[in-house]
Amino acid sequence: MTVRTAPEPVVVDELITETADRLFGELCTHEAVQAAEEAGGAPDIWDAFCETGFDLIAVPEEAGGSGGTLAEAIEVLRLVGYHSAPIPAAENGILGGWLLAEAGLERPDGLVTVVPPRAAAGDWSGASCSADGTVESGPAETVSGAAGGANCSAHIADDGTAQLRGSALRVPWARSAELIVCVCESDGQPAVIAVPASQCEITPLPNMAGEPRDTVSFDGATGVAAPVPDGVDAEALAQRGALSRVALMAGAIEKMCQLTVSYTNERVQFGRPVARFQAVQQHLVWAAQDAALVRMAAEVAAREATRGEASFEIAAAKLIANQAAARATKACHQAHGAMGMTQEYPLHHFSRRLWSWRKEYGSDAHWAGVLGTMATGVGADGLYPLITSGTSALG
Amino acid sequence: MRFTPTELTGPELDLQAEVREFLAAELPPGTHEPCLGMAADHDREFSAKMAARGWVGMALPSRWGGSDRTAVQRFIVVEEMLRWGAPVGHHWVADRQTGNVILKFGTDEQRERFLPPICRGELGFSIGMSEPDSGSDLASVTTRAERAGDGWVVNGTKIWTSNAHMNDWFICLLRTAPMEDGNKHAGLSQFLIDLRSPGLEISPIPFLDGSHHFNEVTFHDVFVPDANVVGQPGMGWHQNTTEMAYERGGPDRWLSPFSTVEQLLREAAGTQMEGAVSDLFGELAARWWGIRNLSLSVARLIDEGEAPSVESALVKEMGTRYEQEVVEKLVQLIDEEYSPESESLFERLLAQCVVTFPGNTIRGGTIEILRSVASKGLQGLPA
Ligand SMILES: Cc1cc2nc3c(=O)[nH]c(=O)nc-3n(C[C@H](O)[C@H](O)[C@H](O)COP(=O)(O)OP(=O)(O)OC[C@H]3O[C@@H](n4cnc5c(N)ncnc54)[C@H](O)[C@@H]3O)c2cc1C
Repeated sequence: MTVRTAPEPVVVDELITETADRLFGELCTHEAVQAAEEAGGAPDIWDAFCETGFDLIAVPEEAGGSGGTLAEAIEVLRLVGYHSAPIPAAENGILGGWLLAEAGLERPDGLVTVVPPRAAAGDWSGASCSADGTVESGPAETVSGAAGGANCSAHIADDGTAQLRGSALRVPWARSAELIVCVCESDGQPAVIAVPASQCEITPLPNMAGEPRDTVSFDGATGVAAPVPDGVDAEALAQRGALSRVALMAGAIEKMCQLTVSYTNERVQFGRPVARFQAVQQHLVWAAQDAALVRMAAEVAAREATRGEASFEIAAAKLIANQAAARATKACHQAHGAMGMTQEYPLHHFSRRLWSWRKEYGSDAHWAGVLGTMATGVGADGLYPLITSGTSALG
Repeated sequence: MRFTPTELTGPELDLQAEVREFLAAELPPGTHEPCLGMAADHDREFSAKMAARGWVGMALPSRWGGSDRTAVQRFIVVEEMLRWGAPVGHHWVADRQTGNVILKFGTDEQRERFLPPICRGELGFSIGMSEPDSGSDLASVTTRAERAGDGWVVNGTKIWTSNAHMNDWFICLLRTAPMEDGNKHAGLSQFLIDLRSPGLEISPIPFLDGSHHFNEVTFHDVFVPDANVVGQPGMGWHQNTTEMAYERGGPDRWLSPFSTVEQLLREAAGTQMEGAVSDLFGELAARWWGIRNLSLSVARLIDEGEAPSVESALVKEMGTRYEQEVVEKLVQLIDEEYSPESESLFERLLAQCVVTFPGNTIRGGTIEILRSVASKGLQGLPA
């Protein structure tokens, strides 16, 4: 007799995988990705991507999105990572699109980006603001945080108009955005503030892969604030952001491994392909393990996040991805010799993104701390059930 | 190569709960000295109790005493047993591999003779592959079986034989035809040999900590009847390779230090835990979650009729290295000196891990050899 039931399966439409893979495969050539880095963006690739509607998967149709599940959006992000597509897919879609939909705020025609919460500093608050007409305390100068950051305050009027001060760091693609969105608390309630980028002063800054991670100064900017349901807060944003990075990283590690297998089979030294050397095979095998591990982590975390709470899976997946990125980039670079150190050869599109994404939305130490609280909280008898059942074992 | 995520079905979750209830009643947490993975105590009574639940040889057909269960169901039982540190040593080898080999390559008579008692948890098997001059290069074995009447006469020496002094039967890879130039894989055959046969001598080789685990097994004109040849004479290499695939990628390759980590958490409960200690529990939970998902997906592939040999080799290579990494992290974390006779159970277990886990990346094929297997698979070459 069956007592327990398994949850409904979460299925990703294969057509999404095929279409996105083909699209990015055609557009994201080595040259195009390199050119996007120099130009600080690739509007043509972005437009072609938006034409498929994939930019707004998992954003509800009522909110102007394309529908579909979070798992499907995550699958698209995996392919963004696999092709090093130089586009703000996560910010505009499952992060910004999600926040605007939850807040009932209108989305613009142009690009939406999101201010990452200061996860790395252990500070879950985004912009702090208050709805009682006074400007919230807190220094308005810039505070740096490895995972991006915000240190700003807002004055929210009764009609929802928000006057902002301060600045936010490492805001992805802010220079191309039409709207900048942040989460905050207003009178103890979670709220979202949307500010037109035209109101802000934006200073370009690249991450290690040359992707825009700009500094946004809000002084004098006016936006709109709207309340959001409980649970749509800085912590939830940190989790979604981490999940997006895990998906991107899963794709990038997989592609990096494939490049390494091909290269080491073509490169001949001592009269044979270097892949015949056991020392090189070790790099291939270890990198393949990391690729498999991160893809599995991304897919399982996406599955659970699609169903609901996935705090354990996402934290575990990001920690695993961060550690795997460190190992796999090392192995793949070593196996490539000097060729991997050139701009001409594409390995760096993946390795530099991995080094950057590893630090975004939560470092190793941050997520190990979160996981440690969960593991010690369930205690010795709960430790294995946590490993087998994940978040649902947290009670 | 593709690891497809999978999860447990309702009936599989029921089985998991049933195994947990069984273990909580049989070996209440905190009251028994956990074993470290598959190098577990031999307890015929415990094996019989598991068998009574249908959990030994469970994936074998009911026609031969099994329970017609799947690889995933066996995965569930095995992972719970190992993480609990249960004494599964007596039936371990028969359950994991020998039963499968006999089912796949044996005669009906052999299936009738061996499989029902295996499924009752009665028969303990040892593995006779390695020899003094044949380790990684297994095909070079020289222990030979020669025709004699309605059977074979065996001479030679097997070495590193785990638990031959406690087990009943020995599945051996022997040379039945002289080694041919350029084809050393030919001329090998698999035999089932009674460990109490006349002329068979078992001598202990003390393990590094003084315990008795390894043996040397010498054959002096040991007679083995035709009825104990497994499969076709000369097909031993192929059969043996198939057998090794059952050894790989399962929970026994990544769970060995779990009971040690769990015990640390038990002993640390109620104390003020330092951040580094807490973080380590978090990190280990995450890594185990990731590896478990890969390993579970291999079991599911087997149930779907695939032969995921590259995937299994990747998981085993990663899992056994991870086991050693866990121990290293614990060693770095703990200030105290520990002893195999410490008062603290955690310290006793940790001392045992430190001393015995170097073998985890050697037994059943070294990680160096596994890398060759896996990397050929990655490059699409024949293994
Ligand atoms: C705990 C334990 C239990 C065991 N139980 C059993 C048992 O019950 N039955 C049984 O038959 N055997 C058993 N073994 C033996 C085991 O199968 C062998 O130890 C293993 O196959 C390696 O052989 P070896 O020890 O002779 O090492 P060797 O083959 O001599 O290897 C020595 C070193 O050289 C490396 N090496 C060898 N060849 C290559 C190559 N081609 N490329 C790269 N590196 C290479 C190895 O990886 C290793 O690092 C057990 C071993 C251990 C540790």
